[in-house]
Amino acid sequence: MSRLSKQLKSYGQQFASVVRNEYRAIFTDDGALLILVFALIIYATVYSLAYGSQVLRNVPIGVVDECRTPTSRSLIDTFDAGPNTYVAYEPTDMAEAERMFYDRDIYGIVYIPDDYEKRLYGGEQAVVAIYCDASYFLMYRQVFQELVTSIGATGAMVEFQRLIAKGANIPQAQATTQPVIYQSHNLFNPYLGYGTFVMPAVILLIIQQTLLIGIGMIGGTWREHGLYHRLCPAGRRRMSTLPIVVGRSLVYASIYAVTCTYILGLHYRLFHYPMKGDTGVLLLFMAVYLAACITLSIAVSTLFRKRENSLLLLLWTSIPLLMLSGVSFPREGIPDWLFSLGQIVPSSHGVNGFIRIQSMGASLSEVFDEIKALCILTVVYGGLACIGTHQVISRELNQRTGAN
Amino acid sequence: MEFLRKTGAVARRELSRIARQPMYVVLLLVMPLVSFVFFALLFNKGVARDIPIAILDEDHTALSRKVAQMIEDTPTALVAYDLQDMEQGERLMREGKIMAIVHIPDFFEKNILSNRQTRIENYVSGTNITVNGLLSKDIQTAVTTFTAGVQIQLLTKQGLTERQAMAQLMPVRFSRHVLFNPYINYSYYLSPSFMPMMLLIFVVLVTIFSIGSELKYATAREWLRTADDSIWAALLGKTLPIALTMFLLSLAMLLIIFKVVGTPLNGSLTVILLGTLLFILSYQSISVLIVSLMANMRLSLSLGGGYSVLAFTFSGLTFPVMAMWPAMRAVSKLFPFTYYTDIFVDQMLRGAPVRCSLPDLGCLALFVVLPLLCMPRLRQVCTEEKFWGRL
Repeated sequence: MSRLSKQLKSYGQQFASVVRNEYRAIFTDDGALLILVFALIIYATVYSLAYGSQVLRNVPIGVVDECRTPTSRSLIDTFDAGPNTYVAYEPTDMAEAERMFYDRDIYGIVYIPDDYEKRLYGGEQAVVAIYCDASYFLMYRQVFQELVTSIGATGAMVEFQRLIAKGANIPQAQATTQPVIYQSHNLFNPYLGYGTFVMPAVILLIIQQTLLIGIGMIGGTWREHGLYHRLCPAGRRRMSTLPIVVGRSLVYASIYAVTCTYILGLHYRLFHYPMKGDTGVLLLFMAVYLAACITLSIAVSTLFRKRENSLLLLLWTSIPLLMLSGVSFPREGIPDWLFSLGQIVPSSHGVNGFIRIQSMGASLSEVFDEIKALCILTVVYGGLACIGTHQVISRELNQRTGAN
Repeated sequence: MEFLRKTGAVARRELSRIARQPMYVVLLLVMPLVSFVFFALLFNKGVARDIPIAILDEDHTALSRKVAQMIEDTPTALVAYDLQDMEQGERLMREGKIMAIVHIPDFFEKNILSNRQTRIENYVSGTNITVNGLLSKDIQTAVTTFTAGVQIQLLTKQGLTERQAMAQLMPVRFSRHVLFNPYINYSYYLSPSFMPMMLLIFVVLVTIFSIGSELKYATAREWLRTADDSIWAALLGKTLPIALTMFLLSLAMLLIIFKVVGTPLNGSLTVILLGTLLFILSYQSISVLIVSLMANMRLSLSLGGGYSVLAFTFSGLTFPVMAMWPAMRAVSKLFPFTYYTDIFVDQMLRGAPVRCSLPDLGCLALFVVLPLLCMPRLRQVCTEEKFWGRL
C-alpha cells in the first residue's frame, strides 16, 4: 500500500515538473507559439475570407442569336433571369464567341439557330446548342444547370400552350407537360456554400497539422540541443515515461482547448457555419480527436533530430491528408487500399465525424464508430509515444554520462 | 567569364553540400517524387462511382420500381438501402452511410396512369459539394428520362407517332457540347492543380533551407568568399542546381499528368514548359526575399511554408476567383501559382491560342525579377555575424 502511494506521489511530482517544463518550452519559443497557437486562427480566418462569398453567381455567358426574333429574345431573357448566369455579350458569330471565350470574357456559349422560331411554331423540335466550359468544375456546374433549366422551362411552356390550343384543360395539360414534378433538396447546406462545405474539414486538418509540426518542432529542438533530459526531475536516474506523455499531452490539450473554443464558438458564428452539434457530443468528440492527434504528434516528434525537420517533412502532407479524408475528392473515387491506409491518421475519422456532428447534428451513437477509431488510435500512438520518449531520453542520458 | 567561374565555384560547393546533408536530398528529390506518386495513385480511378443512397418507395408498384431501377442504373448512384420511413433515412445519413434519399410517394403509379401530376423528391446531402453535384445530376437525368418515357406513352396513346410525340413533349431540345473536358473527369481538374502545388511547396522549402542553413550554421561568409564576394554569383550558383533539379522533377510531373493520369494536352507544350520554368524561378525568388528579410531559417520556413500552402485556395481552381470578394480577388494576384494554373488550364485543357497565355507568362516573369531587389539586404545578412546562428 505504501509502495503504491509512493509511486503515485512520485508520478505526481514528475507530472508537475513535466507540465511546467512544457509550458515554458512553448511560451518561450515564438516559432512554436506561432504554429501551435496562431497558425490555427490565421489559417482559419484567411481561408474563410477566401471562401467568404460562399457561392458562384452571375457567370458571364455569350449568346449567338442567328434567329433574332421575339421568340429567341424571350429564351435569352430566361438565361438572364436566373441567379447563376447573365448574358454578358451577344457575339455575331461563333468565331467571335470563341475568341471571347479564350479571353475569359465568357464561360459558356449558347447558339440559337435561325430556324428556331419557325420550327417552334411549326410544331417541330427546335434545337439549341450549348457549349459549356468544363475546365473549372464549379463554373461548369453553374452554367450548365442554369441553361438546362431555362431551356427546359421554355420548352414546357411551349408544350403547355400547344396542348391548351388543342383544347386540353389546364390540369390535363399540366399532367402531360410534367407528369412527375421532380424536386431536389440540398440538406444541411441549402445553397451549397463552398466555405460551409470545405471549412469544417480544413479546420480539423489544420488542428492536426499544426500539432504535428509544432510538437515536432519542440521535439526536434530538444534533440538538437539535448534538452530531453529536462523531462526527468533533477537527481533522478530512473524515470517513468507515462507521466511524461500524459503531462505533455494535457499541456497541448489545454492550449487547443482555448483556440478550438474560439474557432468553434466565435469564428463559426462570424462566418455562419452550421452549428447543429449538441455541445456535449461535440466536446467529447473534440477531446478524443485532440487526444489522438497529440499522441500521434508526440510519437512522431521523437523521430526529428533538428528543429526545422518537422516543418520540412510534414508541411506537404496537409493536402494529401485532406484528400484521404474523402471530403474534397469523393471517397468513392479513391482506390480502396489507399483509403484504408488513410485510416491510420486521426484526421480521416475526425473530419468525417465532426462534419456529421456539426453540420448534420448527429448524436453520440451515430458517430460511435469514429469515436471508437479515435480511441484506438490514441492508445496505439500513446504507446508509441511512450516508447519513443523512453528511447530518446535514455539515449541522451547515456550520451551525457558517456561525455562526463 | 570571371562571373561564370565564380558561379561555377559556388555551384560546386552547393553540390557537395547537397551530397553531405541527407535532408537536402530528401527535400530536393525524395519527397517531391513521393508526393507525385501519391497523387498519381489517388487519381488513378478518376471518377467516383457507386455512391450509396437510399430509396423510400411508398408506392411499391411496377412504375415506382422502374424509377428506382433507373436511378440504380446511373453510374454514380448505388441504391444501398430500401427505407421503411423517413426517420430511418435521416439516421442513415447522419451515420454517414448514405448521401441521398429519393422519396417516391403513395399513388405514384395510379396518378401517372390516370394523367394526374405526381412528385418525386430527392434529398441530397450538401455537406460534400462534389458528391452532391454528381448525385444531383445523375438522379435528375434518370427521373427526366423516366418522365419522358411516360409522356411518350401518354401521347402515343392519343394517336401521335413517336416522332411527333418527341417534338410535342420537348419542343426545345438542347445539344450539349462540353468543351475541353468532355468526360467531365474530376481528376482532370485536380491533377494539374495538386502536383504543381507539391512542386512549389518543395521549391520554397528547399530554397529557404539552402540559404537559411548558411545562416543557422554560420557558413554564410564562406559561401560569399567562394563567390569572391559577388553576391549575384553566390546566389546564382546556389539556386541554379536547385532550379535545374526542380525543373527535371517538373518534367517527371508533366509525364505523370499526361501519361499516367491521361489528362489531354490540347495546347502548346512549349508554353507549358516555359511557364513551369518561370513558375519555379518565381517561387525561388520569393523564397530568397523571405529569407533575406527574416534572416532566420526557422521563421523563414514558417512564413514561406504558410505562403506556399495558401496558394491553392487563391488559385481559383476549386472555388473560382471570380466568385471571391473583391479584396480576396486582389489577394489572389499575389501568388504566382494563380498565373501558372491559368497557363495550365489554357494550354492543357482549352488549347487556347498562345497569345492568351502571354500576360500570365509576363506576370510570372515579374515575380522572378521583383523580389531580387532585396539583394543588398541579402549581402548584409550574409556578412554581419549578428544574423547568424539564430534558432
